[in-house]
Amino acid sequence: MLKIENLHVSVEGKEILTGIDLEINKGEVHAIMGPNGSGKSTLSYILAGREGYEITQGRVLFNGKDLFEMSVEKRAWAGVFLAFQYPVEVPGVSNIYFLKAALNGIRKFNGLSELDAMDFISSVKGKMKELDMDEKFLYRAVNEGFSGGEKKRNEVLQMSVLEPTLCVLDETDSGLDIDALQVVAEGINRLRSPERSFVLITHYQRLLDYIKPDFVHVLAHGKVVKSGGPELALELEEQGYAWVEDKLAS
Amino acid sequence: MSVTQLPNAHYASLITAKNADLVGCEFDWLNSLRVKAAEGFSETGFPSPREEEWRYTNISPIEKSQFNLPTKAGAIDTRFLQNVLLDDCHHLVFVDGFYQPTLSSVIDLTEGVVVSAISEGVSEHEDLLKSLLDSVVETPALGFINFNTALFTDGAVISIEENTQIEKPIQIAFISSKEGALSIINCRNLVLAKAGSKATLIETYHGAEDSCYLSNIVTEVVVEPNANLSHNRLQAESLKAYHIGGVYSRLDNNAIFNQYNYNFGSVLSRSEVHAELGEASDCTLDGLYIAEDRQHMDNHTRVNHAQPHAVSNEFYKGIMNDRSKGVFQGRIIVALDAQKTDAKMNNRNLLLSDRAEADTKPQLEIYADDVKCAHGVTVGQLDDSAIFYLRTRGADEEMAKNMLTFAFANEMVERVKFKPLRIKILEELLKRFPQQGMKIEWL
Ligand SMILES: Nc1ncnc2c1ncn2[C@@H]1O[C@H](COP(=O)(O)OP(=O)(O)O)[C@@H](O)[C@H]1O
Ligand SMILES: [Mg+2]
Repeated sequence: MLKIENLHVSVEGKEILTGIDLEINKGEVHAIMGPNGSGKSTLSYILAGREGYEITQGRVLFNGKDLFEMSVEKRAWAGVFLAFQYPVEVPGVSNIYFLKAALNGIRKFNGLSELDAMDFISSVKGKMKELDMDEKFLYRAVNEGFSGGEKKRNEVLQMSVLEPTLCVLDETDSGLDIDALQVVAEGINRLRSPERSFVLITHYQRLLDYIKPDFVHVLAHGKVVKSGGPELALELEEQGYAWVEDKLAS
Repeated sequence: MSVTQLPNAHYASLITAKNADLVGCEFDWLNSLRVKAAEGFSETGFPSPREEEWRYTNISPIEKSQFNLPTKAGAIDTRFLQNVLLDDCHHLVFVDGFYQPTLSSVIDLTEGVVVSAISEGVSEHEDLLKSLLDSVVETPALGFINFNTALFTDGAVISIEENTQIEKPIQIAFISSKEGALSIINCRNLVLAKAGSKATLIETYHGAEDSCYLSNIVTEVVVEPNANLSHNRLQAESLKAYHIGGVYSRLDNNAIFNQYNYNFGSVLSRSEVHAELGEASDCTLDGLYIAEDRQHMDNHTRVNHAQPHAVSNEFYKGIMNDRSKGVFQGRIIVALDAQKTDAKMNNRNLLLSDRAEADTKPQLEIYADDVKCAHGVTVGQLDDSAIFYLRTRGADEEMAKNMLTFAFANEMVERVKFKPLRIKILEELLKRFPQQGMKIEWL
């Protein structure tokens, strides 16, 4: 589904991603862990298509197509979704309208008709219930004045409404207390399917107690320095990121 | 303060030629007011950009256009009219500056309430006219006001009886017909909300598509003690027209005046909203101006805290696209005696193109010492991170920009409580910034 080959990315002349190779197949869950500043968010933004980065080498294929040839919205239409580490506040745009506009954009691209408004609202309300979100959030401006945890739930709500095929979640667990973490993790688990792949970016292994990854990759200085199974996350938890740094130094 | 300038010969000649058969010419007091105004105009002419208050707006295209005075109303087709008239309102309709009784409807008014046209009620309401006309505009008056006083052909005269509430809003619609091209609408509205009364007025402006004309409207408003008046303006003139519109108000003690000002039309427009505040009165001035292509929209406000304990809240938003220009000049004056004044002014501008321009100039003149005055202005662009966020969810770039722009404007539209007007304003907004799948009931 996603193939990242020798990806080098710079910002203002400074190289941040220094050669990433990663292959993610349908239905797989990959966790990417790494210390702060290792380039995790940069990688997620690159996949979503944010401007301001210079891709100096390498390529990314999504279902065999060059991702960098696709505009931001085209990627969304084709099934790429990024749950932001810091979701953006959009004053004045209600959550319900935002979700509907987004979903209809995607449906239109895929040759589907617009959803009936009533069906749409009741389906969204059902999903909010699962995520333990109050219905009043539907009519509030997107993320405006939401707490950190509410913003993260809202990201997962969007994901469950839009039903993407590649879900990139950037530190969706950070800032959540243990109850919220559980609710959000269940929300993500419900979306797991043989057709859908996940990239879980996280700083801590505790998210992985709830969502079991198929693969774990350690990112340091803009590069995958180690890959393995779920046990690698536990190893990291015990040894800390200093262990990675030490290994790199030696 | 004002810089002397010779009046444009064409417009000066209109005044001298036309005084004889105007509405109310049977009244000496009115004739002498008109003569005085004509003299005032012959001294100043229209304002020049050398005057501080007009430095951002050059009205020379109006002078060059040599508009003429209309002699009668042209025809309006019913489709056009249907689109103009708001549901659930009393309607006073003026075409090319003349009242149209057959297109208007005012029904079931409470005893003692006057909702009429000057041309209809000039004898019956002479005292009312006499007490209101020229009673609120400042002297020396602006060239445009003098021009209006000297030449107004008609307008609304409204008086709300003491302690009376008018349920339905009163819409005063000014329409320029096709035949009205190249002519001037000079209308004068006189409004009195007597003590303890409550009413909503809506002035709307429209013209035949692509027709070029000048609207020069003056509205004088008196809000007596404890009265509550909501005054709305929807300026949706033809995009080739010129619009000079002034609302001059005086609030007595404990009066409430809410003025909502929505500007979409005209190639060049100037709105002037003035309020003089009595003791413990409450004044809200809200505005929205949206300019495209080469439209020029100038908004002037002046809030005069003449007495203590009054509250004023002013919030204007502008959106400028293409090569358009938006101007906001807001002046707050707090007199020496006006202690415990609470005055707020805010102007926020959104530029949608590199060639669009926003000029914003708040001016505070504070002579009292125990007052709260706050003001803020911003000029900005759409938030790139919000555009990106919307696009990652599947809105294309244009849609994302439209969503954010619409949201910026909608904050001002939400303030309109009367639904038929709010929907009309939303329609203007959605024409400019379409929202796919948007349901008006979600707003
Ligand atoms: N727009 C930017 N301009 C300059 N430096 C940046 C920018 N974005 C990221 N960086 C730098 O790149 C490195 C990686 O950042 P980031 O991808 O946010 O790391 P992580 O998400 O792993 O904490 C950091 O050193 C950060 O300061
Ligand atoms: Mg990060």
